[in-house]
Amino acid sequence: MTKTISAGRMALSALAGLGFAFHAEAQSLPPLPEAIKSAGLLKAGVRCDQPPYGYKDETGKFAGVETDMAIQIATWAFGSADKIELTCVTAENRIPQLNGKKVDLLIATLGVTPERARVVDFSKPYRWGGSDMLVAKDSPIKKLDDVAGKTVIMLKGSTQAKWFEDTMPKVESLRLNTASDALQSLKQGRGDAYTHDAATLIVIAAKDPSLRLVGEPFAISDAAVGVRKNEAAWLAYVDAALDRMKAEGLYAKWVEKWIPAEIRPFYTDAFTKPKPTAR
Amino acid sequence: MEFDFGYLAAQWPALMRGLWLTIQVSALSIVLSIAVGLCGAAVRVLQVPVLDKVVVGYVEVIRNTPLLAQLFFIFYGLPGLGLRLSLFWSGVLSLTLWAGAYQIENIRGGLETVGKGLREAAFSLGLSPWRFFRLVAAPMAVRVGLPSMLNTSISLLKNSSYLQAIGLAELTFVAIDRISMDFRTIEMFAAICVIYLALVLTLSFFASRLEYRLNTPFRT
Repeated sequence: MTKTISAGRMALSALAGLGFAFHAEAQSLPPLPEAIKSAGLLKAGVRCDQPPYGYKDETGKFAGVETDMAIQIATWAFGSADKIELTCVTAENRIPQLNGKKVDLLIATLGVTPERARVVDFSKPYRWGGSDMLVAKDSPIKKLDDVAGKTVIMLKGSTQAKWFEDTMPKVESLRLNTASDALQSLKQGRGDAYTHDAATLIVIAAKDPSLRLVGEPFAISDAAVGVRKNEAAWLAYVDAALDRMKAEGLYAKWVEKWIPAEIRPFYTDAFTKPKPTAR
Repeated sequence: MEFDFGYLAAQWPALMRGLWLTIQVSALSIVLSIAVGLCGAAVRVLQVPVLDKVVVGYVEVIRNTPLLAQLFFIFYGLPGLGLRLSLFWSGVLSLTLWAGAYQIENIRGGLETVGKGLREAAFSLGLSPWRFFRLVAAPMAVRVGLPSMLNTSISLLKNSSYLQAIGLAELTFVAIDRISMDFRTIEMFAAICVIYLALVLTLSFFASRLEYRLNTPFRT
């Protein structure tokens, strides 16, 4: 009797397995647009200074979750993880790089904003991102409002630059080009706080005991893949690829691969949970 | 995307604030670099012991390294040595040091044209080397060197755009900062090019007036 039951269970799980296989089959991607296909490889813009999303590891190789997303799309599109040309983009030059056709998509910590939507098309969001501030360990700044009348370091063209301009215009800003310039300037005391994506700051704070996070999230926004305007077929392909990554549980795998366990929960939430509410 | 004059009009106050900072930092640096040039050239021509070697070294270092590297050294490097200058003064210092090296050579070039005879005449009249430099050689050298000094000053004015890299909110910074938010690339770069052009033409105009005035004694 017990034997029959377990046989039945096995049959059931085999069926379930089949069902899963069938489901995965349903995730097949739309045809690759001719313009992309004819290039023979995927030209993707990723960040090189934004661990754990996009950065270069100690040996100078492209690394990070978003980099893996780009490689995955190339694998699906061209059948090989080598069929990709990765380009380092910055907050400031990423949209010009895309619209100047240097790259065909951006997976580059690109937050969805109305200003950007005017010049590029966004895929569906693949994660959310919030902002935070990094300050010196002994800084009197404990919450967001404490920076009133102080100097805040930020990157040109960043979500935070826009947010401060709209929300706290009285805050003095020091706007620099790269995250490393900003960090250097914070440590040299050229500003009282350095604001950036929380995800980036968490990594820095975990490594550097002289700094701490303020910990009040603000300017929560969706991150999405950017493609040029009026490339509907390509956008549809990217959207389908993002769905497939989600369905196959790839984000969790990449988060585990690139992010140390002690800071992992934030990133797991960002990729898999709905975004929280904040200012 | 067509050219949007309305957008430029909206950004005009920000551009003017940037322009004002560009003018301040450039004007100050031009004056200081000419002072550096005069002192350095005097040291070279009067062959002040030790110092003249220092000046030669300074000119070579500045002329043979990129301005951007010098700027980053001053802004990010000097604090490590205990000297933390503000954005503005980091900018003035780097532009002054950069242009100063060229001004030394410009003025020294002018001094080369002051003939040996004049020098001997001055000394035989009992002028000290310093008074000879101040009363005879320098005024003549500046006249001759003026066009190349103007060249260097124009370069300095244009190179002030490098200061956007350290976050000084001068003209180019304003343009790049706005572009990174609003993506009006053509409007902003066209606007700052026109403004730089107007600035340089103004500078050239005053320099040619000065040249005319300085040449008064030689006109018949």
